[in-house]
Amino acid sequence: MPFVEVPHPADVKVRVWADDSTALFAEAAKAMFAVMYVNAEDRGVVRTLSVSSDDPTSLMVDFLSELLFLSEVDRVVFSEFEVRIDGTELEARAIGEPFDPARHLGGMEIKGVSYSGLTIFKDGEQFCSEILFDV
Amino acid sequence: MLEGMKRIDEVEWEVPVGYVPKMRVPGRFFLSDDLTETLEAGAIQQLANVATLPGIVRYSLAMPDIHSGYGFPIGGVAAFREEDGIISPGGVGYDINCGVRLLATPLRAEDLTEMRALVEDLFRAVPTGVGAESRMRLSAQGLEEMLVEGVPWAVKEGYGVEADALHCEEHGQMQDADAVPVSKRARKRGMPQAGTLGAGNHFLEVQVIDRVFDQEAAAAYGLEEGQVCCMIHCGSRGLGHQVCTDHLRTLESATRRYGVEIPDRQLACAPVHSPEGEAYFGAMAAAANYAWVNRQVITHEVRKVFSKRYGIDYEEMPLVYDVAHNVAKREEHDIDGGRETVYVHRKGATRAFGPGRVEVPQDYRGVGQPVLIPGSMGSASYVLHGTTTAMERTFGSTCHGAGRVMSRTKAKKSMPGKEVREALLGRGIYVRATSDATIAEEAPAAYKESDKVIDTVTRAGLSLPVVRLRPLGVIKG
Repeated sequence: MPFVEVPHPADVKVRVWADDSTALFAEAAKAMFAVMYVNAEDRGVVRTLSVSSDDPTSLMVDFLSELLFLSEVDRVVFSEFEVRIDGTELEARAIGEPFDPARHLGGMEIKGVSYSGLTIFKDGEQFCSEILFDV
Repeated sequence: MLEGMKRIDEVEWEVPVGYVPKMRVPGRFFLSDDLTETLEAGAIQQLANVATLPGIVRYSLAMPDIHSGYGFPIGGVAAFREEDGIISPGGVGYDINCGVRLLATPLRAEDLTEMRALVEDLFRAVPTGVGAESRMRLSAQGLEEMLVEGVPWAVKEGYGVEADALHCEEHGQMQDADAVPVSKRARKRGMPQAGTLGAGNHFLEVQVIDRVFDQEAAAAYGLEEGQVCCMIHCGSRGLGHQVCTDHLRTLESATRRYGVEIPDRQLACAPVHSPEGEAYFGAMAAAANYAWVNRQVITHEVRKVFSKRYGIDYEEMPLVYDVAHNVAKREEHDIDGGRETVYVHRKGATRAFGPGRVEVPQDYRGVGQPVLIPGSMGSASYVLHGTTTAMERTFGSTCHGAGRVMSRTKAKKSMPGKEVREALLGRGIYVRATSDATIAEEAPAAYKESDKVIDTVTRAGLSLPVVRLRPLGVIKG
């Protein structure tokens, strides 16, 4: 899985990377759901969403916050993401399955996506991001 | 780590102006020598960042459970003037009014012969963990009333007894609450989660008072050695998280518009009396009321279980007190010889008002406000009382808990949940959780020793111990 957890005493910080800036958003979403739920699978439940923000870091916060909202109110655990970005507009398809406490519990509840320490940068040919979640 | 810090006294340190650019006041934090190795550079940086915000009064403060958060450090306290100060979600956090309450019972430890059965009953009665759903039949109108009226609404709806509201901070109802700026999205998350415990470090614990430090204060609070109590720790669930997320977004652009320079975007803020500042403050207060009702509804379920098992009346299980750990409040404080209205942000910190303050319930006013400091599953919790010293030095604030020292991931790797559970059982503590992973990440070893944190606030005089509570049975989200 292309993400690692960066040690943090209280919350959860992840570092994700991808070949291009759009895929980076999909990887960030995958990492967030991997922190929250175990055994997430693609079972054909699809939600679409769009967000628009001022800059790439806000777009990341808004995209992940929207997924948190959708997951909670629709009770869906997402595992796959198709993302399209045009400037600071993002559209995505999130694919997953209905939340099942018997299968999915064992991760951590994420309360919010923080701007603190949120970075998006290029490391050689790769696009990277570090994100801090309040858990 | 303490290089460049100025030692004020045995347990108080100063972060000088200039530690980060544009600090308006110094930082101050409380830490005993044996806790200094737990101090992180990131937390000091955050403490200093808060000192750059407009209208900050006297100091940017942090309690001995200080650790890195986002925006403010956890354990952070700061007061801002009404006329030129700001209000910031970064000083409150995502879990608005995450807090603790203590419920007394007339039982003694020896009465609880079937701890496992009691804990299992409580686990069934209180929806727990990620995805847990409310058993309340809450209408849109009901949620609206809950947001505005807080605990008195819950009591009116049958979820408590009259005296409960009197023993909550703010009487369980922030007067500044405004439901209008609580978005539809926040309501959508809040409706199915009212009266649920949540996950993470939230818990419901059956405890016994194993030590009394202050007989007079304990008597005033109705507590004595050997008495069984119940502690409830939870917050405003998805509703509060969404209020924070929504208003951070609005305040991001407001910060720029009002020309406020901030060193960290998570410190997005607006003048107290700007439309954006007032909207956040009203919504935050409404989310705080939601959290108080949440704990009230859980209290009702706990009373039902105890009443059924032990044949005791609800009135025999009084609420000792309920404190908020993540909240911003309009308060009056004596500052430089005058009385001023300030907006005090406490993020992972507890109000600790001293004797004589009108905000302290009348029956406790002689000794000061009860301060509830939860331990971890295996370590003791404490009741302390607020002091005049806290009023003078920290805007009536003290620590909120032990504070983590180990990441959740490392905790999970270092000892499997099953082993933690069995080790605790060996010490007479029965733990029930939605998963063993939760138990592992909340293992006692992941936290600072609460005794050291309590010792520091005691030595600083910010709050003084009344009783210690040892865990007997624990429910974790």
